[in-house]
Amino acid sequence: MAPGAPHLVVRQVSKRFGAAHVLDRVDLTIARGELVTLLGPSGCGKTTLLRLIAGLESPDAGSVELAGRDITRVPPHRRNVGVVFQSYALFPHLTVYGNVAFGLKSRGRSRGEIDAAVGRALSLVHLEHLGARRIAALSGGQQQRVALARAIAVEPDVLLFDEALSALDRKLREEMQVELRRLLREVGATAIFVTHDQDEALTMSDRVAVMFAGRIEQVDEPRIVYARPATLFTLGFVGLSTRVSGIVAGSNNGRVEVDTAVGRLSAIGNFLIGSPVVVAVRPEHVRAAPETAGNCVAGRVRSIVFHGSNSLVEVDAGAATTLLAQIPNDVSAPPRVGDEIRLCWPVAETFAFPMPEAGA
Amino acid sequence: MSARIAITLAWLCAIGAVVFLLSPLLVIAAASFSPTPVFDLPVGGASLRWYARIGALDGFWPALSLSLQLALLSTALSLVLGTLAAIALARGKLPGAQAIATALVSPLMMPGLVLGIALLQYFRAIGFNATWSALLVAHVVVTLPYVARTMIAGMVRFDFTLMEAARTLGCTYAQAIRRVMIPALAPSFLIAGLFSFLASFDNYPVSIFLTDVRTKTLPIKMLQYIDEAPDPTLAALSTLILIATIVLLLASDRLVGLHRMAGTGD
Repeated sequence: MAPGAPHLVVRQVSKRFGAAHVLDRVDLTIARGELVTLLGPSGCGKTTLLRLIAGLESPDAGSVELAGRDITRVPPHRRNVGVVFQSYALFPHLTVYGNVAFGLKSRGRSRGEIDAAVGRALSLVHLEHLGARRIAALSGGQQQRVALARAIAVEPDVLLFDEALSALDRKLREEMQVELRRLLREVGATAIFVTHDQDEALTMSDRVAVMFAGRIEQVDEPRIVYARPATLFTLGFVGLSTRVSGIVAGSNNGRVEVDTAVGRLSAIGNFLIGSPVVVAVRPEHVRAAPETAGNCVAGRVRSIVFHGSNSLVEVDAGAATTLLAQIPNDVSAPPRVGDEIRLCWPVAETFAFPMPEAGA
Repeated sequence: MSARIAITLAWLCAIGAVVFLLSPLLVIAAASFSPTPVFDLPVGGASLRWYARIGALDGFWPALSLSLQLALLSTALSLVLGTLAAIALARGKLPGAQAIATALVSPLMMPGLVLGIALLQYFRAIGFNATWSALLVAHVVVTLPYVARTMIAGMVRFDFTLMEAARTLGCTYAQAIRRVMIPALAPSFLIAGLFSFLASFDNYPVSIFLTDVRTKTLPIKMLQYIDEAPDPTLAALSTLILIATIVLLLASDRLVGLHRMAGTGD
């Protein structure tokens, strides 16, 4: 198969549990060798989508194709998928070797083949010396690696990770993110990660699919998801932002003028005059400088959170509106709590989204 | 200081309890080597003559055979029923699962006499007169709580994600049960089976209501021997049963650990 050709195709998949629409006509296409993250809050349907791909759930409607084969009705043991579970789900009655060999034995491989494949998988995760260990005698990080080796050993068409790193402590998790990405690249695996951790999503994946309420809101490269969020939900879920609601007063060539409680702001977007919208900007574009171009709002510094190279400044602009600004800490006169301050940011970094309907 | 006194007192109580509980067993074992035909400590010479006479006791072999049959069969039945019930209670969203679990274990808390009389009346009422079958059913009632209690605890601890992992690794559901669930729960099966076997083998109060002249379990037969001819043959038999039990417990301890059998965590 040519690189970049569709390898996993999820087409119009829906799933309900009782009255709840867990997945609502989801489409997702993943190329061979791609690392994709399903990112969203709990209950958004990301884990259900992963389980549908693994065959542990079956869809009410829609289809799933893997490596050119329709697997919608194929039971899990006849799909060639590898799953790394959140709890690792290692077999407690078997050794490390027994766990990694499990899938190969199911596939009826010869003893020699199994030995070789287990050896390869364990050396990939640097545990070749622990084959005889019992599972209970391993640390959390080692168990994570065994779970990975077990899934990789059968050379699956796609590797599925269900919150697989969330049980590790922060430092180990960050190390594993980098190492896992390198390892998956090395073996050319196609992989899907499910996570609610945006840092993990942005670090690990070629593309991020942001999910909300059973639908995929946006699928894009991490930097695009962050810099050009397609929906208000994506903007709010990935990274920090200031949001101000208002009414469109003027519209011209992909730019709108919006009347808000803190004055008139310009933003990128196409809306009819009179539409209710939400105007948003990321804190790193907001500057405390006497600029003349762009959007400017004055206010009083309410709090400052020190983050090393920069500080996150919360500014009360009146009318129940709070602005977030990320101010570099190398400026000569850093703002103090209570200071009157004027914040400005470029129009090109100001987004306008349709106002969500009440209750949404 | 007062803590030290409390600990000392606790130890004294514990030692006292152990001595009180174990000394009758030691006396029985000692008496079984007595050279004289009365229950006496073997002063001035031990003898194995009473051990040689066990096999010659009237009706000993049929009673032993019946007790073994009942213990093995009721344990096997209880293991199957108790495991299925435990899966349903631990996995299914049954209404009143807690109440069902309590009901399953309740024969454990009921006096054996009450259970025996109740079963006798019930079997008579429905015209169930076959002694051997009635005994088997009664022993299932007696042993099922031991199995159910242990298997429910095992199932609650069992991570059913393991089954899903096995299926994504190429197992059908049936293969996943065989290759993952049964071996992972092996300690629970062993413990449940052991307690069930012992509960059936030495049951007296329930069996006594259901036996007839020709069909008597070993404990009932032993009480009859005491009435008829109280000599140290019975002490020898008791000692043999004691030794067999200790061997079983030691073997199980080697396999799964005695602390898990006592239910004091894992």
